[in-house]
Amino acid sequence: MAIPDHVLVRNAGSLWDQATHHPFLDALAAGSLVEDAFRRWLAQDYLFAKDLMAFQAILLAKAPRDCHKSLIGGLAALEKEMDWFESHAVRLQLNLDIPPHPTCRRYTDFLMRCAYTQPQPVLLAILFGVEASYLAAWSALVPSGPCPCAEFIERWSSADFAAYVAALGELAERHPHEAAQEHFNEVLTHEGEFWKMSWEG
Amino acid sequence: MLHDELWRANLQLAESCLAHPFVQALGDGTLMADLFRTFIAQDAFFLRAFLNAYALALARSDDTETIATFCELIGGVQEELKLHHVYAAELGIDLGSVAPNPACRAYRDFLLRTAWHTSLGETVAAMTPCMRLYAYLGGELALRCSQQHPYRRWIEAYSGEEFERLAGRLEALLDRVATDTREVRDSYRYALQCELDLFSGAFCS
Repeated sequence: MAIPDHVLVRNAGSLWDQATHHPFLDALAAGSLVEDAFRRWLAQDYLFAKDLMAFQAILLAKAPRDCHKSLIGGLAALEKEMDWFESHAVRLQLNLDIPPHPTCRRYTDFLMRCAYTQPQPVLLAILFGVEASYLAAWSALVPSGPCPCAEFIERWSSADFAAYVAALGELAERHPHEAAQEHFNEVLTHEGEFWKMSWEG
Repeated sequence: MLHDELWRANLQLAESCLAHPFVQALGDGTLMADLFRTFIAQDAFFLRAFLNAYALALARSDDTETIATFCELIGGVQEELKLHHVYAAELGIDLGSVAPNPACRAYRDFLLRTAWHTSLGETVAAMTPCMRLYAYLGGELALRCSQQHPYRRWIEAYSGEEFERLAGRLEALLDRVATDTREVRDSYRYALQCELDLFSGAFCS
């Protein structure tokens, strides 16, 4: 599963694959990921999620009534996810009070600039891109043996998460915009860069 | 003064900009015309974001002196853009359809995120390096700029008294509206890093 049948995905071409497949993910599922890369990804993904929270809040403020349920549900889930990240950071003695990696920064600067300057349908396409690519990336993974990362794979392959992504996809279809594809594609480029940064440092 | 401290703390980045092959080639006049053309197009794209950021900063200013300073600084960018338009006409650049390269997009995104989403102090801290750096580069390159230099107009614009005066105005504003926080320091430093990346982006294009 997990490749949403959506016009934005179909029209993204090879960018979709670049955003959803990476040696980092393969190594994670195989249990062979080096610890440094995992810790880097965890900390930077947490910093990303903090800004994504602000992005989603601004989108919610701009969104029409039919978007509220999904967007509010998404915000509540993200708030729980922050707790979850923080508890892992404590367990791993990982400092989250660090500067963002330039790659993470470029991604969140893009999100925040768009949050204020782009119309709500474009923001929906952006959020759909962020979440759909994450769902596809994680749910394609099959842990080989007892993988310490099984919990992570389950989180972003769950039926709840898939239903949320499907709802965002429907909203993005119901609220089209001529600039949606361009911004969706830019999300995918940033996603690919983020995996590369997690892998290579 | 905060502006002076921030400049000195990040001088190495400014010196890296001066030593950058793109800037060195611009300075000695050997820069290929195509690269200069690309640079002007990217810079003009970025300057429009710079104008927006000034306007956003102006909108959140609540004393007339600060508002007047931003008006003056906006006038300065408009003058700068006139130079870009002259170059665009000469070099055949359509400034309305510039596709920003990744470095230019990153700088634009950072600047506009800062201007929309953070404090006035952080915004001014994100904008000051651009002005001070170009005044510095202009001054350094002017030392070896002959009458026949192919990029003489560009060097004169940034080494001139008016540009230096505007950079000073912005620095005085920084001292007045910003406090010495981690965010302000980070904003200033990252803007200089973006400037360096912009030269690399132009050189690799």
